[in-house]
Amino acid sequence: MSRARKVLDWLDERAGIYALWDQAANEPVPGGARLRYVFGSVLVYLFMQQVVLGIVLASYYSPSATDAWASVAHLQDQVTAGWFLRGLHGHGASAMVVVLVLHLVQVVWAGAYRKPRELNWWTGLAMGGLVFAFALTGYLLPWDQKGYWATQVATGILGSVPGGEPLRILLQGGHEYGNLTITRFFALHVFVLPGLLLLLLVAHIGLFRRHGVTPPAHLSESELARADRFIPHQIFYDVLAMAVTAGILVAWTIRSHGAELFAPAQPASNFPARPEWYFLFLFQLLKYFEGPLVLVGTVVIPGAATAFLVALPFLDRAQSRRPKERMPVLAGMGALLAGVVALGVAAKVEDAGDEAFQKALAEARAEAERARALAAGGVLPEGGEAVFRNDPQYEARRIYAERCAGCHGRFMEGGDDAPALVDFGSRAWLARLVRNPRAPEFFGKTEHDTMDPYSPEDLPDDQLAAVVEYIVSTMGDEIAPPADPALAAKGKKLWEDELECNSCHEIEAGAEGDGPNLYGHGTVAWIAGLIANPKDPRYFGEEAQMPAFGEKLDEAEIQALARLVAAQRASGAKAGASAGQHD
Amino acid sequence: MPAPAYQPGRTGRFRVTFAAVEPSLETPMPHDRDDAPPAPEVPDAAGGPSAASGDVPRRRFLLGATGLLGAGVAAAAGVPIVGAAVYPLDHEVTSGGGDFIPAGPSGAFGDDPVRVDLHADRRDAWNRFEDVRVGSAWVLRLEGRLVAFSTVCPHLGCAIDYDPKARRFVCPCHNSVFELDGTVVEGPSPRPMDRLDVRQEEKLVQIRYQRFKQGVKEKVPL
Repeated sequence: MSRARKVLDWLDERAGIYALWDQAANEPVPGGARLRYVFGSVLVYLFMQQVVLGIVLASYYSPSATDAWASVAHLQDQVTAGWFLRGLHGHGASAMVVVLVLHLVQVVWAGAYRKPRELNWWTGLAMGGLVFAFALTGYLLPWDQKGYWATQVATGILGSVPGGEPLRILLQGGHEYGNLTITRFFALHVFVLPGLLLLLLVAHIGLFRRHGVTPPAHLSESELARADRFIPHQIFYDVLAMAVTAGILVAWTIRSHGAELFAPAQPASNFPARPEWYFLFLFQLLKYFEGPLVLVGTVVIPGAATAFLVALPFLDRAQSRRPKERMPVLAGMGALLAGVVALGVAAKVEDAGDEAFQKALAEARAEAERARALAAGGVLPEGGEAVFRNDPQYEARRIYAERCAGCHGRFMEGGDDAPALVDFGSRAWLARLVRNPRAPEFFGKTEHDTMDPYSPEDLPDDQLAAVVEYIVSTMGDEIAPPADPALAAKGKKLWEDELECNSCHEIEAGAEGDGPNLYGHGTVAWIAGLIANPKDPRYFGEEAQMPAFGEKLDEAEIQALARLVAAQRASGAKAGASAGQHD
Repeated sequence: MPAPAYQPGRTGRFRVTFAAVEPSLETPMPHDRDDAPPAPEVPDAAGGPSAASGDVPRRRFLLGATGLLGAGVAAAAGVPIVGAAVYPLDHEVTSGGGDFIPAGPSGAFGDDPVRVDLHADRRDAWNRFEDVRVGSAWVLRLEGRLVAFSTVCPHLGCAIDYDPKARRFVCPCHNSVFELDGTVVEGPSPRPMDRLDVRQEEKLVQIRYQRFKQGVKEKVPL
């Protein structure tokens, strides 16, 4: 007797495991094993996988409004296979919805909701509802823009139904979203819902074992008499279906690189909120009803559909399970599914054709990418949006507000005695300056008045454009679009041979003149040099009114400020295109 | 999918089916005697001893295939789960304080130990912290030379106090007592107090803060 057998015998004497095994393994499958019976087993597999994956995710997750996003970003982008496991969990939820519908369709087609299986049907429906509750609560947990705004819609609906407001406040733990919202959703998602689902699952499987499978109605007595055992016949089909599901799930997860994670939730922003695809039909339904009819979309229609499903065992008056005799019920079910699919497709189609939505989505994705890249350096304990403080430009803005805004204006719009910095150094800016250097946006509010305006009579537009292009051509690759060599060459010729610019301005690197040297004007290096010491002969010399910051700020800070100013160019210079735009 | 490999209803008897748990068909189970109660009544038209014996290869194939597929399903999630679970083994999840940290002007330290808090930027999984206390050190002059000890007791990590009357370091948790030079006088500490690297730049004393493995005789940096 092998040692394993001894252990098993020991256990059997005490727990009767052989009998339990017999029961489980040898359950007869009347009419033979069939592929159409696999959906329940696949759902059990998916649920178990969700539980195990959920435990792994929970071991890297922190349910607080400050920590949640950063912890998910850490899991997604740092932890080994984190993105894959999170993706498998997210897509696993989608797979559960798909298989749930297949299971439902199979059950309805087979008439398995009929007497004596009404309780199987109802426990199944309840579990289906729980799957959607899982999806809803899980969606919020990353505390990213998508989850935050989509869930706002769901709790908003709850608050809008009669008597729903106290429920909404209870569910979200207050009048607004915050720490209590996330702890509550977390508790529901990982404790309450799994517990309920497990209880229902035990009941559902127990009832299933009591009544057995529901073979196709057309089988004869003798066909039904030919039974397979659960093991190995049915279980082979079951595991085969699980393997196919797992294969699709893995492929899908790798292809999509896991579940999307948007930028951290920003309550003051707006976001093109969309729910998960399987909620789109409900989302779409909301668009058709206004005013007092809103409840039709949020409560009446979904409620009627649910009532139809619950009442199905009573609505079905047919004499047998044969589909032919149950046409009204099957037609109702078909209409329901068709409606759900049609609404979902309509939502997708509308979004696909909605340019504003697509643009907002693209922007949200770009912001997400930026936030996640910044999160790699660790997020300050303030959490969430604080990730953007890792951006060097954030630091530059802070210094700007402290050191520069007093004269140049909070939004770089210019102040009482200093020029504006908006669009600094662009082609249009240079051209405007030449036409009128004494405008308020340039030197009008300063004491620099040496340069005379050049009217179109003195300097025709085409010559101005050529000269501007010549100056711009000294910026190297920092200007976009790149300089036009032919036009720049024309400008160089004008500069050297015809115009009088060069009587004040040098345009050779390092040369000193009466006016600022324009070589590389507007580049980060040029601006940094100016900030460090405007009195340098290459800039304004002794006439400079702006203080020299070279002694007050360190080199990195000056560079950051220079990049910030360069980024104000509307033409989109390379340095820091992500800078915020101000009016 | 059609199932051409076998015909539904061709099942063996209970004994054969039980091969699922025990592949050795030759060894009968203790309860699997001839007089054992039969398997749950399954109407089995084609069943019978001969049919059952003919089923064995197919049954084994189905069981084997089921096992393989099941293992694949489990591995799909299981392998990456192990990867994620052991992530902290080969990644630095927390960090900070590995560099020299300013501790104070050299004039602040004399023959009596002074406790200084050491501040540095710190990383903890997804967070970063600016200028937080990463640890503390006892700093004093021993025969004129600056010495710094970690306040973390080498025994089990409590914070070591200084008893100015006895002029000795005392761990309040398990009563380890140390001399001013860090050697153990009494108590369970397996090694002297952990010395930290000290350097002086101009008049500024700097200390490199490190943590060491607890409860062992050797001083092993973590």
